[in-house]
This record gives sequence, structure tokens and C-alpha cells, in this order.
Amino acid sequence: MGYVDDLRQALGDDNVLEEPIELHIYSKDASLMRGHANAVVFPKNADDVARIVRIAEANKVPIVARGAGTGLAAGASPTEGGIVVVTTAMNSMEIDVENRTAWVGAGVINLDLSDAASPYGLQFAPDPSSQSACTIGGNVANNSGGPHCLSEGSTTSHVLGLEVVLAGGDVVILGGQAPDPPGLDLKGLIVGSEGTMGIVTRALVRLIPLDPDVRTMLIGFSSVEGAAAAVSQVIAAGMVPAALELMDQRMVEAVENWLHAGLPTDAAAVLLAEVVGETEGVEAEAELITEIAVSNGATSVEVAETQEHRALLWKGRKSAFGAIAQLAPDYYLHDAVVPRTKLVETMKAVYEIADRYDLTMLNVFHAGDGNLHPLIAFDASEPDINKKVHDAGDEIVAICLKNGGALSGEHGIGLEKRDMMRANFTELDLDAQARLKEAVDPEGVFNPNKILPAGSRCFDFGGVRRQELPEGVWV
Amino acid sequence: MTAPPVHLARLESEVPAAPDASLKLLPRNPQDVASILRYASEKRMNVQVWGGGTRSGYGAPPDPDIVMSMQDLGKVEKWEPDDLTLVVGAGASVEEVELMLSEGNQTAVLPEVPGASTIGGVIATGASGFRRTRLYGTRERILEATVVTGDGRIVRGGGRVVKNVTGYDLPRLMVGAFGSLGVLVSVCLKLWPAPPHRATVTVATADDAQRVVRPLAVLEDRESIRVFVWGTPAEVAAKAAKLDGEVDEGHLWPSDPEGAFGWSLRVPPALTKEAVGRLPDGWDFVALHGVGELRAASGDLDGAWDIREWIESVGGHLVVTQAPADGLDGFDPWGAPPSALDVQRRLIAEFDPARVINPGRLPGGL
Repeated sequence: MGYVDDLRQALGDDNVLEEPIELHIYSKDASLMRGHANAVVFPKNADDVARIVRIAEANKVPIVARGAGTGLAAGASPTEGGIVVVTTAMNSMEIDVENRTAWVGAGVINLDLSDAASPYGLQFAPDPSSQSACTIGGNVANNSGGPHCLSEGSTTSHVLGLEVVLAGGDVVILGGQAPDPPGLDLKGLIVGSEGTMGIVTRALVRLIPLDPDVRTMLIGFSSVEGAAAAVSQVIAAGMVPAALELMDQRMVEAVENWLHAGLPTDAAAVLLAEVVGETEGVEAEAELITEIAVSNGATSVEVAETQEHRALLWKGRKSAFGAIAQLAPDYYLHDAVVPRTKLVETMKAVYEIADRYDLTMLNVFHAGDGNLHPLIAFDASEPDINKKVHDAGDEIVAICLKNGGALSGEHGIGLEKRDMMRANFTELDLDAQARLKEAVDPEGVFNPNKILPAGSRCFDFGGVRRQELPEGVWV
Repeated sequence: MTAPPVHLARLESEVPAAPDASLKLLPRNPQDVASILRYASEKRMNVQVWGGGTRSGYGAPPDPDIVMSMQDLGKVEKWEPDDLTLVVGAGASVEEVELMLSEGNQTAVLPEVPGASTIGGVIATGASGFRRTRLYGTRERILEATVVTGDGRIVRGGGRVVKNVTGYDLPRLMVGAFGSLGVLVSVCLKLWPAPPHRATVTVATADDAQRVVRPLAVLEDRESIRVFVWGTPAEVAAKAAKLDGEVDEGHLWPSDPEGAFGWSLRVPPALTKEAVGRLPDGWDFVALHGVGELRAASGDLDGAWDIREWIESVGGHLVVTQAPADGLDGFDPWGAPPSALDVQRRLIAEFDPARVINPGRLPGGL
């Protein structure tokens, strides 16, 4: 194909892949949906990306950006074909200790940034469970969360500036170290836009000080409802712990079988709570959390005594999904979010759905934010199973929306939840979102057909472009 | 005054303190806002949205045909203390909302000395409280926004949950947009616990504040440098002891400096101290150490060009927040225009195609 030659010329042969096996590898992310790439490219900087964008536009082929491919919503699956832009070669890192910021390449791995910052007493707050693999560019694209975003907010709260390649191959810097840049917050719009508005090549991120002291507690409960109620009461008592993570018994058993961390497998649910700050504060908060837990049927309280102990407890939480492989070859993970006060009733309904469909469901989730991750473990080779998993999933999402929640707390919409957007928003709401996309990417070259269902522009009828309507017509 | 069209006549009202305009209208619900904006779009009339009037001095002076007061759209719709969320109309008084929240030991972390500010006004102008040093700015508080676009469509973005990536981030785009995309009618805000045990500790230098980790705010003015802390009684006592300064119980927030000219200086955080040192003689100020924001006021424009030159050379901004009529003498209220103006222009065209809400008020003449 002609444009692949153009890409080779622009980037060098070593930075362009087009062998079938290579294209296959980059044809999906960590979701279940595979697309098809025509070329896979590895730009080194924004200028390279600008060249790629211009080639794509000239040849009318789509561009899909990809970091480590850990996304769970098919946001990086090239479902419309075209060029997959892998950001991993853009891995520069400049830490500004005085200003507590860093300019980092989109391809830098999340954990590498925090590791590089820690000698200066600093850290990058967003910590998705995939943090040892996922990239900053992916975090920006998905506005990623993680356990610690309960107290510090998701990625968007930690992105101060972006270097981004927009339509036409324009390289722009948005935002900066100084607060409140005047004008529209384009940076805020691009964070979480899942690669549909441009390609972020570098991000200026905020770093926060390492915590002087920390208490990490693992609390066993005799019921899931008791654990969820304790979470609500902790928040109601005026605390925002650094993390409040819940695992149900099935999940604890799966993790313990694999990790042997001494987790309480007899408990119906296990809460991992972490408070950070100065010693006086964390001691008082840890005591209060324990009291609240006991009054809600806590059966055990384990406080990490050492850094190694704490790391082990967190490993149990962050590797939960890896442990699923013992139960079934496939799993389908949801990411809906509900108001915290609806946690208990939502969980009851979620278990009821799994029982009714006779599915194996495990739960591990960010309870403090009301962000559920019901996980259905299954064997895709079983007849009719896919439909069952899908139908149960739809019911779970419907319950969350009914309880005042939203489709996704941190994984994004991508392709996976695109067609559910109509359950979350009105036609006019979606039309407004489609206008945002169209204003930033008028030709639709960046990651087409993601986030918004087809026909989101309310008034896209019969090929009549809005611009052709007579002036004064209000549509 | 011109006569309003029949369908808007019932909304006609006096709007205290608002600038002159042919029409002064008081919408009672989002549908009224939509009717007004549709009418304005059809007739190509400029609309100024009026909250408390406390930040009306930003940007090019508006010359409205219609002033639309949001005061009747200020109802507290739903406060869920256990969810740490608040759904409230844009016209609500910041002071009243924070007073209500304080009874449940919570806060929306909005400006601490709000005067007549409204929720919508604070968001539209991108103003933040002093506690942004620890708890981040207003931008990080907005979870859901209901907006009436310039052409009268009522749209909602975000959701009433504390963590959400469902669709594009319309709510954050409203922060600091000065209504250019649409008029905020209601928002859901993320609240924060506000422990009743608080102290204000006066220290000798801003560096002394680093003896405690992540204080709520470190504020410097002409009189003193003060560190603001809160938490459990033990925590507050321990922090006060580490800071080793004069301790006052409670939070003694400074008022914004007053003068004929108001200024917002925005520099990289580490340059806050240098910015204080470079302020022209006679400029009153409050500096937020660790943030890079200074609020200042002066009697005249002397020294403004020089300090803007330095601020822009370090990647910052000097924004005019208040000026006498015709007092700017060619001094741009925003300074150097932001990047990607073409994209900003296209976004505004999608939401306010007839460009009726605060036209020309944003940087770059948008």
C-alpha cells in the first residue's frame, strides 16, 4: 500500500511493521475485541507523529494510538483498520523537583515515573492496577484511576499540560506549570478522550510528596453488606482514606491460592484500607476505621507492620485479575460506578443477577469511590456462554444506571460500552459530545467510532452538512 | 429599554448592580434560559450572564443587550453527605452553600471569602479557594454539569458519582470558559470533609511551611506568612508544634486585595516567592505558596507591563480581574493568546453558533 511506503520514508524501515503476524499482535488491546491494523508505527517524538497524521489524512486512513495495550474497553483496538501508533518509543522523563512536576513521554510506564520520582520524595498519584505495564499516554487517554484516586482524584487532576498532535499534524502545547491557563481547557477535554481527538506525545504531570506515614489494614467481614456499609460510614465519619478496596470471598480465595499471603479466606468480604499522612493523623484514622469495621461485623483486622507486609497486601489486590486464570480461561470485567450510598443494594442485585444466570462472579473493587468491578469468569468454549455473559453484563450495567451511576468509572467507553451510551445520556447530550469531537477532529481521523454510538449527531441527515443549512436556521 | 417579546415578558425584572442592558431577565428554570438564548441567537443579541457580579471585571468589558440573572436558579437540589456530593443550581450563593455544608462538617472547597459569588460564577471564571494548595482547584470538584448552549439546547455531561469516565469531560470544559459554550444551570460537586479542628500558624518564611507535609494553604501578604492546617485535635497540635509559630485557633482567611485594578498572577509554583519580590511598589497581594497564584490589586497600571513580561517569560499569565472603565490603556486583559485558538473557536461555534454569550470576552478575542 502506498501510504505504508510513505510511513517508511518518514520514520525509517525499523519503525514500521506490516508483517501479518505483527499486525495481528497489535490488532487488539486487553479487551475481547479484535480489529485489524494495516501498519504499526513507532514514532520517537511529536514531529514523527505529525508526519504520521499528515500521511493518514492525505490517504484518509484512521489512526489508533496505543501504549502498552492494557486497555479493557477496546479503545486501542483498530476496528476500522488503519495505522496503529505505538507510543512506547516516546519515553523521555524530566523531573522538576522544585515545581513538583515532570514532563514525561506518552510511552513512559506509570510505575517507572513514580520510581524515578521517589528519590526526590515525590510520586505520581494515579496508580491503576496495571501500573507496572500501562503507560502515561494510556493513563491520559483513559483518565485512569486506581485505588489511590479516592483521595487524590483521577489522572485528569494530575495533568497540568500536554504536548499533543492535533488534526492537520499541528503540534501544540496545552497548559503548563502555571495554574489556571486562560482560555478553554482543551487539555481537560483531551484527557479521557481515548485517543479520539489527537495523539498525546508528552504530558506535564503533577507529582505529590511521598506520604510521611501510612497504615494499611486488611479487615475481614462476615458479610459483603457489612463491609460495604463500613465503607460508607468511614466516609460519613469525615475521613477520605488513601484507599478503600473490597474483595469478596471468591476473589480472596482465588488470590490466596496463588499468592499465599495469609488472606482470611473464611471472611465473606475483605476490605483493604489505607490511610496516609502524618503519624498523629494516621493513627487516629486507623483506630476509627477499626471501630467502624467492628461495629459492622468485622471478624479480623490485620495491620501491615512493615513495608514488605504492606507490599504483600497490595500485591494481593493489584494482581487479583491474574489470579482468575485458575478458575476459568476467560473473564469479562465490568467497571460501572454508583453513588457510594447505593453500594449495598447494588451489590445485592449484582449477586442476584449472577445467580440467576448461573455464572461464576467475583468482585474486587474500589469501594470508596463506588466503582464496581464485577468479574464473570467463564470458558468461552462452553456453548451459548457468550450470550449469557453478555446479557448478565447488560443487566449489571442497567442496575448501576438505575441506582444513579454511570457506565464507566475508570476503564473508559472505547468500543465495548459505546452502544450503551444511549442508556446513560439523552440524544441531545450525545449530540453535544459529538460536537466536541467534531470541533477538535473535523475529519474524524483519530480513533473513529469509539466512545460515541453511530448517529450521535442528532442532525446528520441525508448527507446535508450543517454548514449547508441557511443562516438563521436553528437546528 | 426595549420591550421583550411576549413569551419572555414574564421574565422581565430588575437585576441589582448589573450593567445597563435593553433587557434584564430573570429565568426561573433551565427552559427559560433556553428560551432566552434562542431568542438572543435569533436576534443576534449579546447576553451577559449575571451571578453575584464579583468577577465581572475579567476580560474585555461586555456590552450586553440582555442581562440574564441566575438568582432564581440557585436551589440546593440534593446534598448526599455520605456520597460527598452536592447537586446545586448555578445561581446559589457560595457563602450560603458553604455555610450549609459546614453544618455537616463538609465543604465544596470553593473560595473562602466569597462575597456575593455564585456557584456558577466561580466555575465559569475558574476561580478557586485558598485550600487548592492541598485539595486542588474548583476544576477538580465538578462532577456533572447541566448547560444551556448558546443556541438553547439543554445538555448534561458527567454524572453524580465521584469517579467517572463516561464520555467526554464536558463539566471540566465549563471551568473558566466564561459561558462561551453555554450557561451553567446546575452542577454536581464533589465535597470534602471539613474537620472542625483548625489552626492558623504564623511563620517567619514560606520555607518554614515545609516542616509539615501538604498543609491546606500557605498564604503570604504584606503583613505575614500564615500556614493553615486542620484535622484531628492531635494532628493539628502536632502540626502547630512542628511549625513553631504563633498559633491562632480557626482559619483566618485574608480577603482579596482591593484597588482600582485587580490582578491574577499565575506562575510556576516554585516561582511564587520570586513573583512576590517582583511585584511593583504599592501592589497589595495575597500569594498562594505551592500553587503559583497571587491575587493582587493596585491603584494604577504602573509596573504592569514589566511584570507581565517576566511572568510570560517563565510560562505564566498576568490576568486583569478588575479595571476602571477605559482604564487599561491598551493593556490586554489576558496577555499572550493561548495555543490552539482555532480549535477553541470551532468548539465555541458548535455550542454558541451565533456567538451571543459574552462574545469577545475570552483571550484571543473569542
